[in-house]
Amino acid sequence: MKSLYLYPVWLRLWHWINALLFLTLIASGVSMHYAGADWLMPFATARVVHNTAGILLTMAWIIFVVANARSENARHYRVRFRTLIGDLIAQTRYYMIGIFRLEPHPFHVTEAMKFNTLQQLSYLGVMYGLMPILILSGWAFLYSVYLPETLFGLGSVWVVAMTHVVVSYLLALFLLVHMYIITTGDTVFSNLRAMITGWHRETDLPRTETTAPAPRETP
Amino acid sequence: MITSRDRATRQGAQLHTDNPLQAPTGSPGSTKARALHLGRSLALWLCFFALGASVDQSVAAIAEPVGGAVDKELAEAAADRHACLRCHAMSTLGYRDPDDGEIVDLSIDREGLAHSVHGELACIDCHRRSYRRYPHPDRPAPGDLDCIGCHEDENQNLSRGWVDIDAEFKRSVHAVSDSPRVEGFSCHSCHDPHRFRPAAVGEPIVQIVRNHNEVCLSCHEKLIAPSSTSHGWLPNRDAHWTSVRCVDCHTPVAVFANHEVLPAEKSEKNCVSCHSADPQLLARLYQFRSEEDIARRGLLAKAVFNEAYVVGMSKSPALDRLSLAIIGLMVLLLAAHGVGRYLVRRANRRA
Ligand code: HEC
Ligand code: HEC
Ligand code: HEC
Ligand code: HEC
Ligand code: HEC
Ligand code: HEC
Ligand code: HEC
Repeated sequence: MKSLYLYPVWLRLWHWINALLFLTLIASGVSMHYAGADWLMPFATARVVHNTAGILLTMAWIIFVVANARSENARHYRVRFRTLIGDLIAQTRYYMIGIFRLEPHPFHVTEAMKFNTLQQLSYLGVMYGLMPILILSGWAFLYSVYLPETLFGLGSVWVVAMTHVVVSYLLALFLLVHMYIITTGDTVFSNLRAMITGWHRETDLPRTETTAPAPRETP
Repeated sequence: MITSRDRATRQGAQLHTDNPLQAPTGSPGSTKARALHLGRSLALWLCFFALGASVDQSVAAIAEPVGGAVDKELAEAAADRHACLRCHAMSTLGYRDPDDGEIVDLSIDREGLAHSVHGELACIDCHRRSYRRYPHPDRPAPGDLDCIGCHEDENQNLSRGWVDIDAEFKRSVHAVSDSPRVEGFSCHSCHDPHRFRPAAVGEPIVQIVRNHNEVCLSCHEKLIAPSSTSHGWLPNRDAHWTSVRCVDCHTPVAVFANHEVLPAEKSEKNCVSCHSADPQLLARLYQFRSEEDIARRGLLAKAVFNEAYVVGMSKSPALDRLSLAIIGLMVLLLAAHGVGRYLVRRANRRA
């Protein structure tokens, strides 16, 4: 039995707060975007909820970026370019084919690297690409009065609104895939448990599969 | 042009003959007179350099050059206007009303008049001929000669019939209120006949909003004072006031009755009537957007100007549909993947 402590308390706390804010923002955002239907939040409520959650999300993001840079967790975000292509192919092939053949997982979680290449790239893209854009466009909304009349020859508010809406659709898509992929660990719930307890355990393997070298994966 | 002049003359004539009740030519005391005879004694002769020759002579002498000057009537009207505007175009022309101490502004904005629907009429089409003399005879301005007095027949250029407008106005808060402050409220309280020009389809929406709101704000100016807490429940109040019209919220939502200004408690507070995929209220404002206008601006700008400006409204239906389709597809893919995994595992356990 091997157990790795991969998720320190601050990280788990951040992760779950972030998740909660995400859901709140999606619910209130959808309520405003598609305002009018009965089953949605009232527009005026949704607006306040969305703004508040957005501000909290900004703070959470800043805390993440700072804490990540200052802690050991940063090493998980360092891309290993030499093996990048090969790893990507192997990982993609595994999700598309290998997983159905019960092949061993091509990636092995270690203290030094807890993400597989696909995860790493998507988390990098989300946390350092999409999130800043989402946050900036959100704040631009809040302060739309101070925006110039036009941006790139288009109405500023429109540019901001479109950016915000496209990025939020992308992040919703990410959330969907993320929630599915975490079920591809040793067991359906092992990755979820790891994010709650902090410990990545390899003994979670179902007995029937012990013949194969442990396929494992973390979110 | 000739027809419009004909009609002008006809309507002008009708004023002076057929309709003695409304015509300013009625007996001197028949109209609700402003205390002009008193006012005149206190008239503020602010800039009177223009006064020289007698007005009667100048009417003949000074004819504005009208393009080609073929149309005698048009030229005459222009000369007439010029004669009056010699004095009345001075922005400082006015006097202090002896009754309430208010300054009565008698100046006419030349530009505004030229662009107005009445820009080609002679002043005396509406005003008494005797105003050509100065000092003016003791007659009041046709204060209660409202628009309906001259306009009754339907007009294709307007979105509303005159009769409907009149009926709506008579139901509006300004007409039914017993407040002494709305006494004598008429079409002219909001529409200056020397400036009036209805919004045309295709004018920029912001411009239309500004013009229309200026009407209301000319009296309700306290609302926009920096200290004002009015409409405080409306987030980004100032943004709303530059992008929607007062009448959009202050007239009945269900029917198109832009002149039926409702009392405060009946006014529209429901955000969703604008911030939704089916914005009833904005539809009225957006009637001014012309089809060609949208077409000419091209696809990208069409998306921009169509629905983009309103939060909550689908900013771009196409984008929404695409995104939802992608998300839906992803759900299906993931579900299929999950089912596949489950089946493989079950088969494996059995084996
Ligand atoms: C003394 C009569 C008179 C009064 C009062 C009057 N108008 Fe007119 N109006 C005319 C004449 C004459 C024309 C020009 C002839 C024409 O084009 O039909 C005209 C043209 C118009 C037009 C152009 C549309 C059209 O008929 O082609 C509008 C709109 C209009 N007037 C609105 C108003 C409004 C609003 C008021 C009240 C503030 C008003 N009028 C008061 C006589 C009058
Ligand atoms: C010589 C300058 C002068 C000329 C020209 C002139 N006015 Fe006047 N008008 C005045 C002054 C000053 C008053 C203010 C009080 C008064 O003396 O009647 C006035 C008042 C008026 C009023 C009354 C406004 C009110 O409600 O108290 C009307 C209407 C009017 N003029 C129309 C005309 C018309 C129409 C013409 C052209 C046919 C004209 N005026 C030419 C100077 C002039
Ligand atoms: C379409 C008809 C019409 C025409 C044309 C017209 N007027 Fe008037 N005028 C009115 C009406 C109606 C009033 C009364 C407005 C009110 O009660 O506030 C008025 C009022 C006035 C007043 C009083 C001050 C005010 O603004 O209330 C003056 C001065 C005046 N007109 C001058 C002129 C002059 C000068 C011209 C020509 C350049 C002219 N008018 C052309 C309809 C007309
Ligand atoms: C409380 C102010 C107010 C009063 C009083 C008022 N109006 Fe208006 N009117 C407006 C405003 C604001 C608009 C522009 C809004 C719109 O057309 O939707 C307008 C627009 C119009 C138009 C143009 C409609 C069009 O199709 O573009 C006409 C014609 C008109 N008014 C006539 C009248 C007549 C006639 C009266 C008197 C019975 C009157 N108004 C009284 C405020 C007023
Ligand atoms: C000529 C001045 C004037 C103009 C122009 C004017 N108003 Fe008013 N309005 C008043 C006055 C005075 C009252 C007060 C009536 C009362 O106390 O009952 C009033 C009352 C109101 C009220 C009712 C307030 C309440 O407490 O219920 C509303 C709403 C309103 N106006 C909206 C408008 C809108 C919208 C416009 C433009 C289309 C407009 N007004 C143009 C003078 C004006
Ligand atoms: C988004 C809709 C909306 C718009 C736009 C709007 N109003 Fe109102 N207004 C209301 C409502 C609802 C009330 C009812 C008062 C309340 O509950 O605060 C109101 C109240 C008022 C009152 C009553 C007194 C007060 O100050 O509360 C006046 C006068 C008034 N509005 C005038 C205007 C004018 C003038 C404009 C344009 C500059 C305007 N409104 C724009 C919705 C609107
Ligand atoms: C008459 C239609 C109308 C009503 C009613 C209305 N709005 Fe708006 N609102 C608009 C329009 C149009 C804009 C776009 C302003 C801009 O961006 O120039 C806007 C902008 C906004 C914004 C700012 C977004 C930005 O881009 O800056 C907020 C927040 C908002 N509305 C909230 C509300 C709330 C909350 C209510 C109800 C209390 C409400 N609105 C009622 C038409 C309306």
